[in-house]
Amino acid sequence: MPAIITATNLRFLDKLRFPDIRVEQGSATFICGESGTGKTTLLKMFNATATPAEGRILFGGQDIAEMDTIALRRQVLLAGQKVYLFDDTIRGNFEQFYAYRGETCIGTDEMAGYLRLCCIEFPLSTRCQPLSGGEKQRVFLAVHLSMKPKVLMLDEPTAALDKKTAKRMLSQMKEHCADNGITLVVVSHDPALVGAFADAVIPLTEEACE
Amino acid sequence: MSNIVQLDLWHFTLIYLLLLVVVSVLRFTRINQTKSLLWASARMTLQLTLSGLILTYIFQNPHPAFVAVYLAGMITFAVFRVFSINKQLNRRFRVIVAASIAFSGLAVMVYFVALVVGESLGNPQYVIPISGMLMGNTMTGVSLGVKTLYQTLDDQADRIETLQNMGVKPDRLFMPFVRRSMETAILPTINTMVGIGIVSLPGMMTGQILSGTLPTTAILYQIAIMIAICTTVCLSTFGSLYFGYRTLYNKRNQIELNAQP
Repeated sequence: MPAIITATNLRFLDKLRFPDIRVEQGSATFICGESGTGKTTLLKMFNATATPAEGRILFGGQDIAEMDTIALRRQVLLAGQKVYLFDDTIRGNFEQFYAYRGETCIGTDEMAGYLRLCCIEFPLSTRCQPLSGGEKQRVFLAVHLSMKPKVLMLDEPTAALDKKTAKRMLSQMKEHCADNGITLVVVSHDPALVGAFADAVIPLTEEACE
Repeated sequence: MSNIVQLDLWHFTLIYLLLLVVVSVLRFTRINQTKSLLWASARMTLQLTLSGLILTYIFQNPHPAFVAVYLAGMITFAVFRVFSINKQLNRRFRVIVAASIAFSGLAVMVYFVALVVGESLGNPQYVIPISGMLMGNTMTGVSLGVKTLYQTLDDQADRIETLQNMGVKPDRLFMPFVRRSMETAILPTINTMVGIGIVSLPGMMTGQILSGTLPTTAILYQIAIMIAICTTVCLSTFGSLYFGYRTLYNKRNQIELNAQP
């Protein structure tokens, strides 16, 4: 499989050094490591919301430092650790996020399909504010998944979920991504999930940081 | 109309006795603000005495240079007051705030004095008090607007991060916050217009009536100054926020809310 993201000699500020990285197209690659080893920072450098002090990141063979960052972020889409939903219905959230990107929103059936993929089969008219943390997280992920990026980066996607739901959701997401040629990059603390779903693992260790 | 009763200094000092009433209420309620009340009163007395003396001198020796210097002082004070309330502003944002306050204050003042009143711009008796009223309100408006913007951005950090990660353009992302902050900044001025003349006679009108101006004339001035204030506040907050928010992200569309130390 060809690489979709490669990174060499990456350093962030003076604090973090990263091993050379290769993410294969269509794979599910997990980033593991203890707190403070730069997992989230790595994802942020991949979508150019953070800039490395040194090193190069290539996306599809192109240096991301020379790419339009807005276009890059839509192709290398990061669903961050902090879940944000508008104070609106589930449908309203889909509509608002798409409107912010200046895109036509997907249809009702498609929305319901993505919610099912993320194990949250609530009616689209459900208001999001009263939902639990885990339910919000799944709606949040469904919106991201529906945007059909080339690479979907998930930062602790199962943090608020119980083990059973986490497994079921990740397995459905992985299958969907594999079918649609979407590369998954996942930061996870949970060794059970890594063991079950990772095609490749990028270990970030204390030694890697100065 | 009779002219104003001149306050003689001995009688004038009687007004300070009222502060004793405030002090006793503060003591009784154990609100520990006696010191700041006395400090504020002393500062006010000193500042107003000084500006009274300076204005008397300028009015007796009117020269455009004095007017210019006084205006420059006023603008500088207003600008630094906004900075001291909003410490996290980055350099470019500060320049934009200063330019917006100076430009809108001066532009509206010139329009008011030269076109509406038809006086010379070198006449301190018109230029200085009118600029003072405009600058004072502008200072409050811009401070409020910028403060609200930063507060909203702080409160909405997760929303900003999510939208940024989704590849939303920064102008799209910031506009709702800019709009909300502008609204907060100009609403007090608009509300004042609604209540004016019913509950209170505004300061400028009161002053003119006390000094013997016909209320009908005083009203015309008051209406004019209210509209001028509203325009200045609107222009200066618009300039500060609409151009200022663009300093909060770089060419790589990375958001940096606070000034780098």
